[in-house]
Amino acid sequence: MENSGKPVIQTRSLTKKYRLGQEIVVAVNEVNLTIPRGKFVCIMGVSGSGKSTLLHLLAGLDRPTKGEVDFEGYNLSAMSENQMAAFRRKYMGFIFQTYNLIPALSALENVALPLLFAGVPQKERDKRARELLVQLGLGDRLKNRPSQLSGGQQQRVAIARALINHPRVVFADEPTGNLDSHTSKEVMELLTRLVYERGHTLVMVTHDPNVASYADFVFHMRDGQILNGG
Amino acid sequence: MNKWDILKLAYRNLWRRKGRTILTTLGVVIGTASIVVMLSLGLAITENQRKNMERWGNLNIVRVMAGMRFDDKGQPIGAGKPLNDEAVAEIRSMQGVVAVSPAYVFGGEVRMERKRGYIQLVGIDPSQMQALEFKLSQGRYITPEDKNAIIIGYRVGNNLRDERELRRMMASKGRAISTKIMSVSRPQPVEPAELLGKRLSLLSSPSEGNPMDVRPLVNLEVVGVLDEKDMQRAYEAYCSIDELKQIKKMFEKTMQPAQKSGIPRQRNDPNQPGPDDYQYIMVRASDVGEAKRLSDALKRAGYNAWSMADSLEGIEKQTRTMRAILGGIGGISLFVAALGIANTMVMSIYERTREIGIMKVIGAAVADIRILFLSEASLIGLIGGTLGVGLSYVISYVMNDLGLRFIGMPGPAGPGEKIMVSLIPPWLAIAALGFAIAVGLISGVYPANRAARLRPVKAIRMDY
Ligand SMILES: Nc1ncnc2c1ncn2[C@@H]1O[C@H](COP(=O)(O)OP(=O)(O)OP(=O)(O)O)[C@@H](O)[C@H]1O
Ligand SMILES: [Mg+2]
Repeated sequence: MENSGKPVIQTRSLTKKYRLGQEIVVAVNEVNLTIPRGKFVCIMGVSGSGKSTLLHLLAGLDRPTKGEVDFEGYNLSAMSENQMAAFRRKYMGFIFQTYNLIPALSALENVALPLLFAGVPQKERDKRARELLVQLGLGDRLKNRPSQLSGGQQQRVAIARALINHPRVVFADEPTGNLDSHTSKEVMELLTRLVYERGHTLVMVTHDPNVASYADFVFHMRDGQILNGG
Repeated sequence: MNKWDILKLAYRNLWRRKGRTILTTLGVVIGTASIVVMLSLGLAITENQRKNMERWGNLNIVRVMAGMRFDDKGQPIGAGKPLNDEAVAEIRSMQGVVAVSPAYVFGGEVRMERKRGYIQLVGIDPSQMQALEFKLSQGRYITPEDKNAIIIGYRVGNNLRDERELRRMMASKGRAISTKIMSVSRPQPVEPAELLGKRLSLLSSPSEGNPMDVRPLVNLEVVGVLDEKDMQRAYEAYCSIDELKQIKKMFEKTMQPAQKSGIPRQRNDPNQPGPDDYQYIMVRASDVGEAKRLSDALKRAGYNAWSMADSLEGIEKQTRTMRAILGGIGGISLFVAALGIANTMVMSIYERTREIGIMKVIGAAVADIRILFLSEASLIGLIGGTLGVGLSYVISYVMNDLGLRFIGMPGPAGPGEKIMVSLIPPWLAIAALGFAIAVGLISGVYPANRAARLRPVKAIRMDY
């Protein structure tokens, strides 16, 4: 990969404030963060410390009140919504706590969906999605709807969907939050193995120390600030 | 994103909520069908009237009549120009004229074999017959070489009756007037084909006191019989104008002095046609629209012009209002259906907020989401419109089959012909389908914009 020494993401004074009536909540406060390439980075903190907000800012899903996100040399704040969507299609993958699969679509179609928005022809989409699902041990569940899958299986489908476009960075927000400890371990091992094999950068939000133990770096967050910041 | 993929996705999304989609679609079906059926009623009325009028004359023929001119409200506005050769020349030079022939009318009694009857002889320019839409069912047109050839309307034979019967009636009723007898008993219909090649003898004016005392003046040969669709000309016989003028002179010589004096001789009154003036002039325009223009131009030029196209326009004006009302009634139900689509789509957005957010997160562009929702709404319009048009054809078929005579729809055609109650021309079906899709599309604009504007973070933060 070119410029392999450079960090994938860098932030400068990244700040997000919310107004709740008269009160102003500072969810993310002057964060300067560097995400190294090809590593697994965890963001830990108590509930309400601003982890999800930070993740959304890093991924360009939300716009900061102040500061900047530099993603592979591009300033996300300067992009239009459509440019950002195109950027996500190309460079990012997402995994959520609640899996967030599309209920009407089969496992295969859910995994292929990002490629559909990227304009990849159906044959190619299906081929790539099938290969990935087989790797994740779901070769016999291709036609199942999300409601016909267990939580662990759904999260594996979600992982496949996040990886299908070979993203630079995979963002995961409490991916094991809804799973029992056994399944949680399974999913984490699978995810970390794939991410290393395929050379993705993984940015994960969690408050589970067991999950954080898989990470190369752990950032601790409190009241919108990174305590051991980059 | 591929358009076909979006359509497929839209279609699947619709089927996720089968019940709701079916109910919404049903609204469009009913809305489309009510517009189409309502309009088809109005169109059937217009069509019936148009057919009726066509039976009475060609729509692109303008007639210029002698005598008084009338304004639009039917008030007389003075005498029209005299119809002579000058007038024919003037009309021939007018724009949009394809063919012109003056008509010189002269009625007389004729004998054919053992039958007798009164017919109207119309002298015209034989070279213009074809262009003036004289259509033949039998025989041929008159050529310049012909001598005393005539072409007759297909019902002319019906006005002739057996001379023996006439004599019997004479005897029983005593001294009756021959023309009166004609209208008493119904003559036997004669097959038009039987008339072809027959000889009609024009009879002299009867001697005073004995209507049966007549002698043949000229022999006319039937070379052609007009088509039976031409009802306006069904009882007339056509020959060359020059021949008819001579025949008339011959006839007048045979008249009794008393009868002669009865002929008006007011040459100075411009309202009365001179003896050599024409009764009317037939003008053929290139099409119906041209006929209307020509008719107006002739009126401006001081002629008493009339065309079927004039009347048709009046009827069309009438039925246009009717169609607008009927269409409006149908339109209301389609409007309600449009609200149904919009409502369904908005509800669907509420349900799918999270899903829309996810699609944006994994890379759907703003336009993708908008097109997806517009496609879903248009699909409801397309499916509903297709079924609605199909349903309209079924309803139309049933209504026409039943005939619905009791409603008292105006304009039954000929005898034995069923009244058309509902008419769906292809353009109406296509327009209705297009309209239904447009209604779906328009109803989808607001929901689609809402969905497209949805912020992905908001959507995925829901239920956290
Ligand atoms: N849209 C919003 N409007 C107002 N305040 C918000 C909004 N979104 C988040 N916040 C506030 O910002 C702070 C950070 O929220 P965030 O979701 O980032 O926390 P978190 O660390 O992800 O918590 P958890 O572990 O529970 O997911 C919280 O105090 C939250 O109430
Ligand atoms: Mg969170």
